[in-house]
Amino acid sequence: MESMIHDMAERLLRDHVTHRLRAAAASGQRPEALWTRIEEAGLAMALVPEAAGGFGVPPAEALGLVRIAGAHGLPLPLAETLIANAMLARADLPLPGGRLTIAEGEALRLERRGATIHARGHLTLVPFARWADRIVTIAVLGGDDHVLSLPVKELTVDPAQDLAGMPRDDAEVDLALTEADVAPLARPIGGMRGLGALVRSLATAGAMETILEMSVQYANDRVQFGRPIGKFQAIQHNLATMAGETAASRTAAEMAAGSYDTPAFALTVAAAKIRAGEAAEKVGALAHQIHGAIGYTQEHSLHHFTKRIWSWRDEFGTELDWTRKLGRFALSNPHDTFWHFITDSTAQGARA
Amino acid sequence: MTLTAFPPPPPGTDYDDLRQEVRAFLAKELADFPPEKRAESWNGFSRDFSRKLAQRGWVGMTFPKEYGGHARSALERYVVSEELLAAGAPVISHWIADRQSGPLILAKGTDDQKRRIVPRIAAGELCFCIGMSEPDSGSDLAATRTVATEVEGGFRINGTKVWTTYAHVADYMILFCRTGKSDDRHGGMSQFLVDLKATDNIQISPIIDLGGEHHFNQVVFDNTFLPSDALLGEKGEGWSQVMSELAFERSGPERFLSSFALIEELIRLLREDATEAQQAEIGRLSAHLMVLRQMSRSVAGMLNEGKNPSLQAAIVKDLGALFEQDIPRLARSLVTRPAVPGGRDSYAAVLAYTELAVPSFSLRGGTREILRGIIARGLGLR
Ligand SMILES: Cc1cc2nc3c(=O)[nH]c(=O)nc-3n(C[C@H](O)[C@H](O)[C@H](O)COP(=O)(O)OP(=O)(O)OC[C@H]3O[C@@H](n4cnc5c(N)ncnc54)[C@H](O)[C@@H]3O)c2cc1C
Repeated sequence: MESMIHDMAERLLRDHVTHRLRAAAASGQRPEALWTRIEEAGLAMALVPEAAGGFGVPPAEALGLVRIAGAHGLPLPLAETLIANAMLARADLPLPGGRLTIAEGEALRLERRGATIHARGHLTLVPFARWADRIVTIAVLGGDDHVLSLPVKELTVDPAQDLAGMPRDDAEVDLALTEADVAPLARPIGGMRGLGALVRSLATAGAMETILEMSVQYANDRVQFGRPIGKFQAIQHNLATMAGETAASRTAAEMAAGSYDTPAFALTVAAAKIRAGEAAEKVGALAHQIHGAIGYTQEHSLHHFTKRIWSWRDEFGTELDWTRKLGRFALSNPHDTFWHFITDSTAQGARA
Repeated sequence: MTLTAFPPPPPGTDYDDLRQEVRAFLAKELADFPPEKRAESWNGFSRDFSRKLAQRGWVGMTFPKEYGGHARSALERYVVSEELLAAGAPVISHWIADRQSGPLILAKGTDDQKRRIVPRIAAGELCFCIGMSEPDSGSDLAATRTVATEVEGGFRINGTKVWTTYAHVADYMILFCRTGKSDDRHGGMSQFLVDLKATDNIQISPIIDLGGEHHFNQVVFDNTFLPSDALLGEKGEGWSQVMSELAFERSGPERFLSSFALIEELIRLLREDATEAQQAEIGRLSAHLMVLRQMSRSVAGMLNEGKNPSLQAAIVKDLGALFEQDIPRLARSLVTRPAVPGGRDSYAAVLAYTELAVPSFSLRGGTREILRGIIARGLGLR
C-alpha cells in the first residue's frame, strides 16, 4: 500500500531512532527532541477523524504507523497517543496535545459527587506513564462507558518497567474530574484492552519484520566453516519459519486494524493478539539462535526488539486471556457450525 | 519486506449471497453424507457431484465465458472452494482440472485445445491428473527421466510416473517430461495433454496408500504415441509452465482445511461443557484458522490481479500443513476417545482417518523442506 504518512514516518524514524537512542531510553532517558518531531509531523493525530481535527487518513492506514514504530523499536508512546487522541475525540473531549498514554480502566471506580465525577482506583503497568502528560482510559459509570483523561501530575506514579526497560508504571488515582476530563462514549468500542491489544499486535509484526531482516543480514554476513552461515540449510529453514510466523502475524494484525470500529473487531483483535504472541515466542527464539553469542549482548540491537515482542505478549491481555476468550466465543457461538463462526468472524459485515 | 506483507482482500469481496447459495446446495446434496466420508476432504471422488456443481456454475468459475466458464473472480471461486472443503464435499473429480489444469490450458494451450477441453472441464465432466513425480524424481523435478521423442506426426513417450492421484479414473493427464537436451538443468522440458481414455500403451496400476486406500498410481508409458497437438504450450518451456502452475496448486484453502472434519467433530464434543483449558486450545485453533483464511484470500486477490504470488503461496502452504497436521494431536490432548478406523462413533472414525492422512500433507504439492527452501531464497539467501 502506498501511503504518504507511512513514508514520512519511515524516514523520520529511520533517521532518528538509533541503537544509541534506544539504549539511552532503556536506561531511563526520555527522547525529548524526537517526540517534538513526531508531533510536528502530525503523526499522533492520524487516528482522529477529520471532523475532530484529524486529516482523514483511513483508520487502517493510520494504525499502520504503529507497525512502523514497532519496526524501529521507537521508545516513545506513539501508539498510545494515537489511540488516546482517537478516544478523546470520540467522546468529544479536548485534545490537549503532548504525550498521552492508555490504560485499562476496569479497576477504576467512578462516582458522582454533586456536579463532579470522582475517580478512584489503581492502574497497573501503564505504558510510559511517567513520561506522559495524561493517561486516557475507559471506565464504566451508571452502566455506560466513559472516556477519562487523567492528568499524570495529579496521580501518584510508582515506576516500573517491562523487559525492554520501557516505563510501565503503576498509578494511584483519587481525583475529582473536571468537565474536560470525562465524557460518556456515545458509541462504545469495547474497552481499552482490545485497542491496546491491537496496537501491540501491530507493533509486534513490525518488530518481527526488523528481527527477520537483521537475521537474514547476519546469516549472509557471518562466516563459519568457510562460508556464510546462511548457506546452511538448517539456518535457511529457521529463517523461512520466521518469515511464515511474521507474515501470519502481520496479516492477523492488519485484519484487526481493517476491522477497527466494526463488529468484527472483538474477534479479529483476539486472533491478532494470539497469533502475535505465538509468533513472538518462535521468532525471538530463532533469531537468537541464528545470531549466536553476539545476539545475547546489549551491544547488539537485537535485544531491543526481542525484549519488546516478549513484553508485548503479556500486555492488554495475556495470550491465555485471549485464547480463552476467543475459545469461549467459538464454543458458545449462536451459529449452526464452527465453520459459520469462522467465516462470520472475519466477514466485512460481521454479525459476530 | 514484501514477503511478509499479505494485502487484505479488496473490500466487497465477501460474496455472502454466493456463500449462502452454496451452503443451501450442500445442505441438500450432502444431507446424508456421513462424517467419515467428509473426512476424506478433497480426496473424495464423485463424478455425479462434480457435474451437479458445474450445473450451478461453480466449476470453471474464473474461465472466460467463451470457453464455458463464468468469468467470475478468483475471490468468488475462493468462496465456493472453501465452502466445499468445510463441508467435506467429494470434489477431486473436478478439483485438479478446475484449480490448475484448466487455467494452464487457457494460458498456454492452442485455440483448438481450449475449445475441445476447457468447456468440458467447466461442465464438470473431466477429471485430470498430474504427471510430474517419478521414481527418481520427487522433490527434484528437474531430474525427470520420462522422455518424449519427436516422430512422424507426434511424439513417442517412454518412462514411468508415480504417485499419480486418481490416474485410474482420470480422463486426462498433464504430463511433464523431457523433450530435448539442454545445458541448463531446467531446459529441454515440455508438457503434454494426454488423453488417458483414447491412448494405447499406457499402463496404470494401483499403489495402496497408508490408509489402505487406492488414491494414487504408477503410470507406465511404453513407447506411447501422442499426436503433435498433444503438446501443451511451447516445446522446451515446460519448466516455467510448471512453476507458474504451482502458485495455483499451493495457495488454496485445501492447504489448511484437510483436517476440517475432525475439527467439527471435536467442537461438537466440546460444545456442551468445555474446561478453561479446552476453551483456550479452541481459541488458539480459531485464531490460526482465521489468519490462514485471510492469508489465502489475500493470495486469491493477488492471483486475481494477475500477479505471481508463488512465494506467498509457499508460505501459506507451509503454515497450512503445520496447522492441519496438528489437529489429531490437539484432538487427542482434549478428548479421551481412542481412534477406531471405520468405527461406529463418528469422532473415533474421523480421528482414525485423519491420523493416517496427515503425514501426506507436508509431502504432496511440494514438501515442507522444499517450500522452506523456496521461502529462504525469497528472503535473499543462497
Ligand atoms: C498423497 C500424495 C499424492 C500425490 N499426488 C501426486 C500427483 O498426483 N502427481 C504427482 O506428480 N505427484 C504426486 N505426489 C508426489 C509428491 O509431489 C512427492 O511426494 C513430493 O514431490 C516429494 O517427492 P518424493 O516423495 O519423491 O520425496 P523426496 O523428494 O525423495 O524427498 C524425501 C525427503 O527428502 C527431503 N528432501 C528432498 N530434497 C531435499 C532438499 N534439497 N533439501 C532438503 N530436504 C530434501 C524431502 O523434503 C523429504 O522429506 C503425491 C504425493 C502424495 C504423498
